[in-house]
Amino acid sequence: MWETWLWAWCPKESQKADEYLREIQELGQLTQAVQQCIEAAGHEHQPDMQKSLLRVGLEGRAGQGWEGGGMDSWGSSLCCPLALLRRLPLETSIPMRVRRVLTARGDGEQGKYRYKQLTIQVLLDRYGKPRAGATLPPLSTPSHSLLYPLAIQICEYLRLPEVQGVSRILAHWACYKVQQKDVSDEDVARAINQKLGDTPGVSYSDIAARAYGCGRTELAIKLLEYEPRSGEQVPLLLKMKRSKLALSKAIESGDTDLVFTVLLHLKNELNRGDFFMTLRNQPMALSLYRQFCKHQELETLKDLYNQDDNHQELGSFHIRASYAAEERIEGRVAALQTAADAFYKAKNEFAAKATEDQMRLLRLQRRLEDELGGQFLDLSLHDTATTLILGGHNKRAEQLARDFRIPDKRLWWLKLTALADLEDWEELEKFSKSKKSPIGYLPFVEICMKQHNKYEAKKYASRVGPEQKVKALLLVGDVAQAADVAIEHRNEAELSLVLSHCTGATDGATADKIQRARAQAQKK
Amino acid sequence: MAFPHRPDAPELPDFSMLKRLARDQLIYLLEQLPGKKDLFIEADLMSPLDRIANVSILKQHEVDKLYKVENKPALSSNEHKLLACRAAFLFSVDLVNADKLAGRTRKYKVIFSPQKFYACEMVLEEEGIYGDVSCDEWAFSLLPLDVDLLSMELPEFFRDYFLEGDQRWINTVAQALHLLSTLYGSFPNCYGIGRCAKMSYELWRKLEEEEDGETKGRRPEIGHIFLLDRDVDFVTALCSQVVYEGLVDDTFRIKCGSVDFGPEVTSSDKSLKVLLNAEDKVFNEIRNEHFSNVFGFLSQKARNLQAQYDRRRGMDIKQMKNFVSQELKGLKQEHRLLSLHIGACESIMKKKTKQDFQELIKTEHALLEGFNIRESTSYIEEHIDRQVSPIESLRLMCLLSITENGLIPKDYRSLKTQYLQSYGPDHLLTFSNLRRAGLLTEQAPGDTLTAVESKVSKLVTDKAAGKITDAFSSLAKRSNFRAISKKLNLIPRVDGEYDLKVPRDMAYVFSGAYVPLSCRIVEQVLERRSWQGLDEVVRLLNCSEFAFTDMTKDDKASSESLRLILVVFLGGCTFSEVSALRFLGREKGYRFIFLTTAVTNSARLMEAMSEVKA
Repeated sequence: MWETWLWAWCPKESQKADEYLREIQELGQLTQAVQQCIEAAGHEHQPDMQKSLLRVGLEGRAGQGWEGGGMDSWGSSLCCPLALLRRLPLETSIPMRVRRVLTARGDGEQGKYRYKQLTIQVLLDRYGKPRAGATLPPLSTPSHSLLYPLAIQICEYLRLPEVQGVSRILAHWACYKVQQKDVSDEDVARAINQKLGDTPGVSYSDIAARAYGCGRTELAIKLLEYEPRSGEQVPLLLKMKRSKLALSKAIESGDTDLVFTVLLHLKNELNRGDFFMTLRNQPMALSLYRQFCKHQELETLKDLYNQDDNHQELGSFHIRASYAAEERIEGRVAALQTAADAFYKAKNEFAAKATEDQMRLLRLQRRLEDELGGQFLDLSLHDTATTLILGGHNKRAEQLARDFRIPDKRLWWLKLTALADLEDWEELEKFSKSKKSPIGYLPFVEICMKQHNKYEAKKYASRVGPEQKVKALLLVGDVAQAADVAIEHRNEAELSLVLSHCTGATDGATADKIQRARAQAQKK
Repeated sequence: MAFPHRPDAPELPDFSMLKRLARDQLIYLLEQLPGKKDLFIEADLMSPLDRIANVSILKQHEVDKLYKVENKPALSSNEHKLLACRAAFLFSVDLVNADKLAGRTRKYKVIFSPQKFYACEMVLEEEGIYGDVSCDEWAFSLLPLDVDLLSMELPEFFRDYFLEGDQRWINTVAQALHLLSTLYGSFPNCYGIGRCAKMSYELWRKLEEEEDGETKGRRPEIGHIFLLDRDVDFVTALCSQVVYEGLVDDTFRIKCGSVDFGPEVTSSDKSLKVLLNAEDKVFNEIRNEHFSNVFGFLSQKARNLQAQYDRRRGMDIKQMKNFVSQELKGLKQEHRLLSLHIGACESIMKKKTKQDFQELIKTEHALLEGFNIRESTSYIEEHIDRQVSPIESLRLMCLLSITENGLIPKDYRSLKTQYLQSYGPDHLLTFSNLRRAGLLTEQAPGDTLTAVESKVSKLVTDKAAGKITDAFSSLAKRSNFRAISKKLNLIPRVDGEYDLKVPRDMAYVFSGAYVPLSCRIVEQVLERRSWQGLDEVVRLLNCSEFAFTDMTKDDKASSESLRLILVVFLGGCTFSEVSALRFLGREKGYRFIFLTTAVTNSARLMEAMSEVKA
């Protein structure tokens, strides 16, 4: 029966149709009728016929005004084809697309919702995307480019989220725009940026890739400028052989892996000199590359420093080599010589002199090993001297001290420690009397006590100057005398120091004495 | 003692989730290679791994043997091998090649943690084994060491960034921050100072923007985040620590939240590995205390414990049963911990008195306050002459340099000469490193720059003066410590004795002599909730600062979360800083959470700059 209604649905016979509709409604078969209409439309290949079927379906829905979950999703999917039908030029291949939308909807389940949306997107893509097939009319024809605004309207009509809808169309439009060879690069870039702004979901790098695909490299670079994520710009820039630009973009992105990728590209692309020059202007990349070289290509590192005339680092490089790479003494000395030369060039006289001293020391240590036996190589100057004294070669130690200008203070500390270690108390006493100690005599006391030799310590305690006397006396455990000295000095700090050393009953008297002296001092 | 928190102090978020996350990921990776497998693990990753998954978990997932990788190829018979490593992984090459030579084919998987760098793959390729191994990432970048302390366990960060200018780890930091904001809501207020802080912040923001809006609706749990570069404040990190936890770190080296107490501490013939965190009740009460209080506290505690033991004397059988079943275990546990910490204290005392610790501290304080410079210099010289310790001598030299804006040329040369004579000429490289990092420098010929600069800044507008300062500072990186110290009042005026039992301010962590600069900056900015009024300090620090408040999130944040502050130390933080900020938190009703690239101290900083292989 509704078939009749359907056929009656012609502009001329609309009244009749209304009657049929009412009839169907009364029979309670409207839902079914509408459904069938739409399904039929989906299978129909004649645009005119399709149009009619769908309109009928929609009318039927409106007439009945139904409510019902399953049917709601119908609404939007119905709107789509109808909107398209009303507006699209009919000669384009609608049926396929309509059918897609409708089959998706036809399942009627909520779960298929996603699929439906996807289909709409596909649909939009078809309308938005310029096609490069030979069978189609030239893309610049007005009839075709008109489709973009239409597609955008469809999106708005369907209330699609921006990312899925408008942005996609705009991106497609931009891709089409870059193929307009008669428009200048600037104009195209500007036009695209004006339209797109920073619409979410639009990838300028995709558009730029398209431009590059059409052989418009300059345009592609201009477009990339609009790409907010600098990381996205890099791969295309590399493809376009704009590696230097790619490098600065990679650095901007803060992604060190990306920087590294570009660096390796550059390394293969440029000759060594140019590569190094590029690095020089990019400190961040330079340090990254240096780190890599330190682990993998030591020679390159040297070349890098050479290129930059970085003599300081070159010097350090050779020093490091003298420790790590070289085994033979001659090799090490040679490496140090190179280092010293570099330091001179870097105007770092201190380092140069220190390096030369080290060369002398190495040679000497070698000689000592040959003549005296034992281990001398790689000891510090201090330890070399100590080893000599411990081995009983006092003369040699003194010669060493003169040759290498070991300061007096250090020499005294050194001898003192070494002799005490040997427990050569006689020699120590001789040494202490050789001249006035530049480090005072408190260290003598300390070191003797460290070796638990109270007897020797006491000898030196008597020679300690007045400022450190109390300390020395306390060290050797003579609390009573320390107290006397402190009282004599009338020094509050010293008094409390002694007091803190008074322990138990043995020092009871001393403690009292100090307290009395304190009280007296306060009275005054 | 053991200051209680204010009743209104906010609760800390639960960070154990991070551990679970890392563990699950590891298990997933292990299961990618079904069947029995051996796990080769780089020494640096050993302790962090131990905190995440113990041996039984590894066994459950069919890890047969666990090898710590030292540079020799180990023999193993299993089909699969897993290698977990950082950036250095040449050993894996050796391992695979050794197998190849022996004609064995196995499956290999190299796991990079916390992230795989492009260069890693490249090296594998160059070594010709890229095809033989599969690579994966274990994105394990945040290890909760304690309830309020997260560590990235990247000690190499300090050298890589501050010496070599290598920015690889910044991305890792940004990823970690992103993870935190995903789990605990984004931070409404962000502040930071330093170049690295700024870069990390920007990279992190980018990550957040790329993410879709799902997490944005979350209520923020942590109200503020503060990022800070280590080079903003080297001074604090270079000082000797005197707060218990710091002192334990300086003396025994806390590694990944646990410490190895040797026989001298345990008073037995065995070493003992002890986990140091809030769960250790005894430790928790003394960790933030000045060392001078710790002994007294422990003996008091011992007496209390004895009293509790003694109660059982008058007990009848029923009470005794109760006592044994309920209290005894706790008491025994406490007893054990107590004797450990007393042992540790004794051992610290012994070591410190041997080196004349008092003199050392006195010199440090003199340097901080800037008096008796000559005397301090000769103290350092003697220190070097006596070969007390290469690292210590170096530390004192750096402290002198930074507080004095560089050494005067004569001292610079003579101290270096002395140092080379004492500790070996290869330290020439160390000095070149320290100079590059700005830790040990020479005063610019006649420090008239400062004079000129201040004159100029009076003449021209502030902005121009800023530019001129930039120009000057590019010539020589100066620390301006003295001026900053005055501006921020870092040296408290002491009238009478500073009572270390009842601290007044954060200076207590350095015996009342110095308020840690880093902590002071955090305090000042939080007070203002911006950098306003700190322009002069920022100019002196010569670092870029930033502050950002997201009003939309700020409104959503509860007042409780606004008193939770995450402080991020890029390049490491010390336990003294942690203690100082914990103290500040108690005073103001905040809670601080610490995120650091690694826990550090003066020795670790110096070792990182050292070129001599130990």
